[in-house]
Amino acid sequence: MSQRHILALYSDFDKAEAVVKELRSTQIKGFDVNKGLIVKSPIEHPEVEEFLGDKPVHVQWFTLGGALMGGLLGFFLISGAQANFYAQIKGGKPIVPFPPNFVLTYEMFILGGVFISVLGFLICAGLPARRSPLYSSKVSEDQIGILVKSDETATNALKAIFTKHQALEIQEEAGK
Amino acid sequence: MKDIREDIAWAKINQDVLNSLENPRKLYWVILFVALAMLGVAAGCEVYQYNVGMGVANMDNPHMWGLYIATFIFWIGMSHSGTLLSAILHLMHADWRKPIYRFAEAMTTFSLMTAGLFVAVHLGRVWQIYYALPYPNERGVWPNFQSPLLWDAMAIFTYLSSSILFLYVGMIPDLAICRDRMHEGWRKKLYTLLSLGWEGTDRQWRNFRVTYLTIACFLIPLAVSVHSIVASDFAMSQQPGWHVTSFPPYFVAGALYSGCAAIITLFIILRYVFRFEEYMTLPILKKIVRLTFAISMVWTYLNAVEFASVWYSHDEPSKDVLIQKATGTYAPFWWAMIFCGSVLPLTLAFKRIQTNIPVLFAVSLLLNMGMWLERWMIVAPTFSHGIYPWTWDHDQWPSFVQWGMVFGSFGWFTLLFMVFCKVFPSVSMYEVKEMVYHRRQATKRLEETGKFAAAGKGAH
Amino acid sequence: MSVSNLLENWSQFRHFHPVEDKPHDPYKWAMSIDLDACSGCNACSVACYAENNLPVVGKEKYAHGQAMHWMRIEHYWDEDVGEEGGREFPDQGAQFLPMMCQQCEAAPCETVCPVGATNHTADGLNSQIYNRCIGSRYCSANCPYKVRYFNWYDYPSTDNVWPAEMTQQLNPDVTVRGKGVMEKCTFCVQRLAAAKVTAKSEGRIVHDGEVQTACQQACPTSAISFGNLIDPESRVHKQWRAQQVELDKDKQAKDQKEGGTELRGYRILEDMRPYP
Repeated sequence: MSQRHILALYSDFDKAEAVVKELRSTQIKGFDVNKGLIVKSPIEHPEVEEFLGDKPVHVQWFTLGGALMGGLLGFFLISGAQANFYAQIKGGKPIVPFPPNFVLTYEMFILGGVFISVLGFLICAGLPARRSPLYSSKVSEDQIGILVKSDETATNALKAIFTKHQALEIQEEAGK
Repeated sequence: MKDIREDIAWAKINQDVLNSLENPRKLYWVILFVALAMLGVAAGCEVYQYNVGMGVANMDNPHMWGLYIATFIFWIGMSHSGTLLSAILHLMHADWRKPIYRFAEAMTTFSLMTAGLFVAVHLGRVWQIYYALPYPNERGVWPNFQSPLLWDAMAIFTYLSSSILFLYVGMIPDLAICRDRMHEGWRKKLYTLLSLGWEGTDRQWRNFRVTYLTIACFLIPLAVSVHSIVASDFAMSQQPGWHVTSFPPYFVAGALYSGCAAIITLFIILRYVFRFEEYMTLPILKKIVRLTFAISMVWTYLNAVEFASVWYSHDEPSKDVLIQKATGTYAPFWWAMIFCGSVLPLTLAFKRIQTNIPVLFAVSLLLNMGMWLERWMIVAPTFSHGIYPWTWDHDQWPSFVQWGMVFGSFGWFTLLFMVFCKVFPSVSMYEVKEMVYHRRQATKRLEETGKFAAAGKGAH
Repeated sequence: MSVSNLLENWSQFRHFHPVEDKPHDPYKWAMSIDLDACSGCNACSVACYAENNLPVVGKEKYAHGQAMHWMRIEHYWDEDVGEEGGREFPDQGAQFLPMMCQQCEAAPCETVCPVGATNHTADGLNSQIYNRCIGSRYCSANCPYKVRYFNWYDYPSTDNVWPAEMTQQLNPDVTVRGKGVMEKCTFCVQRLAAAKVTAKSEGRIVHDGEVQTACQQACPTSAISFGNLIDPESRVHKQWRAQQVELDKDKQAKDQKEGGTELRGYRILEDMRPYP
C-alpha cells in the first residue's frame, strides 16, 4: 500500500499541541502516531518535546566516548612520542614529564569531546539529510508544521483533524 | 525598560536580519575599504621582513620579542569574551545573550585567526612552521611537548576549532532560514549546503539542544585553559616580571575584560551599520557595560595583587622590573595602562554613561588600548631589564615594521568580521524568536496569575 | 611500539637531571675561567669569531645589540671614582667577565623550545640544531645569561660580513647559519667530535689537553681551563674540586678553612638552579 505525506501548518504551539493530542487519542487505520508524525517548528521549544512524549537523545554518549578517547589518545601519543624521540634530556626534567603532558591531555580531552559530540549530533539528528517531500518555508518563519505519513486510506481522516484545528494551510503529496 | 519588544512578529525578525545581508548603510563599505587598506600595510611589512630578516623589526639581544607577542596575547585575549560569555550565559539561561552572541562568537573566531597570524609573523623561519606540528614522520622527530609554546598551539587549535563548531552548530537553523528566504545566487547555494537539510523537525531540535549545551559546557573550561596556557608562556619562564604565579587568573581576567570592551565597540558599530536598533537594544548594552565594569574591577584587583606580591617577595630582579615599569622608559605607557584599565572604567558605573553610545564607543576603544598596553608592558620591560645586569637595554624601540603589522592586524580582523556579518546573519534569528516568545509567555502568565505583582511593583 | 617502549623503560624516562640521574660518562665537558687572570684582551672572542664562522655585523648593528659574539667580554667598573681614597679613573678598577653559553645541566632554554631544537647531549653539552630551529626565540627569552644569538639578517649574503677574500678563511668544519636561526657557544663541538673519534679509534678516551676550545687556545694568560670533568686527572676537574664546586649542587657548601686560600669558585646565577 502506498504511503502519503501531508503537511499542515499552524500559527501557534497551542493549536499544534491540540492536533498532536487528538492524533494520539484517535485510532486511525493505516497511521501510526509513533512513526509517522513529525513536528517542525521555527524555534527550539521544550513544550514540543513534552507533548510529543519522551524521546531519547544519545548525543551525550558520543561526547563521553569522544572525550575519553581524546584524553587517552592525547596522553599516550604524547608520552609515546617523547619516549620514542631520540630521547634527550631537556632542562634536566624527566623525558616523560607529567605536568606538560597533563596540560596537553586536557586539551585533547576537550577536543575529542567537542568533535565527537558534533559528529554524534549529525548522526543522531540524521544530518545532512535529504529534504523531506513536503516542506514549507513558512516553518522557518513563524509557523508550526505537522508532517504525517500514512497509508492512503487514512488521508481523509487526518485532513479532517487538521482542518478542525484551523490549519492555515494543508499540503498534500501528489498521488503516485 | 524591556530588553526587547515583546510584540515583534517572527516574520519581521527574519526580514530585518536578512536585510542586513542585503543592504547595509554606506558606512559598511567605507569600513571594509579602510580595513583592506590597513591589511595592505601589514602585508607590505611582512613581505619586507620575510625577505630581509627579523632584523628589520628592530629587535635585538635582549629584546627578542616585541610587539608581535604582545599583540598575539591581545588578540587571544579578545577572543575570550565571545565564546566564553556566550557559553556561560547560555548555561545560566540569561536570554539577553541571544541577540548579541552570534557576532560575539564571530569575534572570537576571527580574533583567534588574527592571533594565529602573529605566531607566524613572529617566527624567524616561518617557512618551517610545520616543524611545530606533531605530525608523524619517518625519522621519529616530534616537537617538544614540554614547551609552553606547543601547549599554546594545541590550545589555540582546540579553541579555534571548537569555537567554529559552536558558532556553526548554533547557526544551522538560521542558515536554513537563509536558504528558504534568500534570492537565487551563490549565497543561496552556500546556505543550502551549510544548512545540511535542516527543517526544524522535533528530532533535529532535540539533538540540537543537547549538543549545543554539551559544547557550551566544554567551552567554558577550554576558554579558561587557553588563556592560562598563554599565561604559562610567561609564568613558566624564569625571567623576572614573568615568573608570577598569579599570571593565569590575571590573564583570564584581562582577556575577559578586553573581550567585553570589544563587544561594546562592535555592538555599537553593528547596531548602526546594519540597522539593528530593534534587537541590539540599549538595555542589553547596559547589561554588557555593567559586566565590563565588574570584570574591570576584577582585573584591577589582580593587577594590584601582582604588584603587591612582587613588592613583598624580596625577589630583587622582579622588584627592579616593577620599578623600571613605573619610572623607566616605559613609564608613560605603564601609567596609561593603569589609567585606561583601572581608572577609566569607573565612568561605566554611572547610569547615564551606561547607555550613552558616543561616550561608550570612545571608552570601549580606550579600554582596549589599555589592555593592549598591558600586554606590551608584560612583554617588553622584562627584556629591557632582565636578571643579568650586563644585558640591560632600556632604549629599544620597535620599528615601523612591527607597528605596521600591529596596525594591519586590526584591518585583517575588521575585514574578516565585516565580511562574515554580510554573508551570515549576525543576529541569531531563531533565538531572538525564542526570546520574544518566552518573554511574551512570561508576561502573559504574570498577567493571568498575579495581577497584584504587575500592579504593585511592575513586571521586571 | 611506542607504548611498550614507554612502559619498559619507564624509570629511565622519569629521572630528574642532574640531581638524581646518573652522571655523564665517560665525558662531561666543562670549563672554568680564572677571572683574576683575565686581562680583558678579547683574544678569546676573536678566536671564537674565526673558529665558528661568526658573522661580523658591523658597527651599526653591533651598537644596536645585534652582535653575534658567542664569547663576549663584559666590563665592570668599580664605582669608587672620585670618592676619598677611590680611583681616579673608572677603568682602573675594571673587572672582566668572559661570558659564553654556560652549557647548563638543567638549561632553561631547552624546555621551552617548541620544536626541540636544543637538547642536553650525552657528553654534557647544550646542543643547538640549526636545521630544526624555527626561530621562535623563546630560548633566548628564557636564558638568564642572554648568551643566545639570533640571525636577524641573512649574514652570508650580507655585504662586508665576510668580505670576498675572507670567505676563504671560513672554517670548513662549521656551517654558516642562515637568517632566522638561533646560535650560541658550542664549546667548539667540531673539535670535541674530532678528538673523540680519534680517541675511540685508538680505544681510549680523550686525554686532558688533547682538545682545546678556540678561546682557551687563544687566551694569553691561560685563564680558561677546559676539559673532561669526569676525568680525575683533568685540570678542570682538579679546579672544581679544589674550589669545592659540585656539579649537582645548586648551593655550594664550602668548608673554608681558617688561614687557607679563599675559595672563590662559583657558578653564575647558580641559585636559579640551571646547574651551569
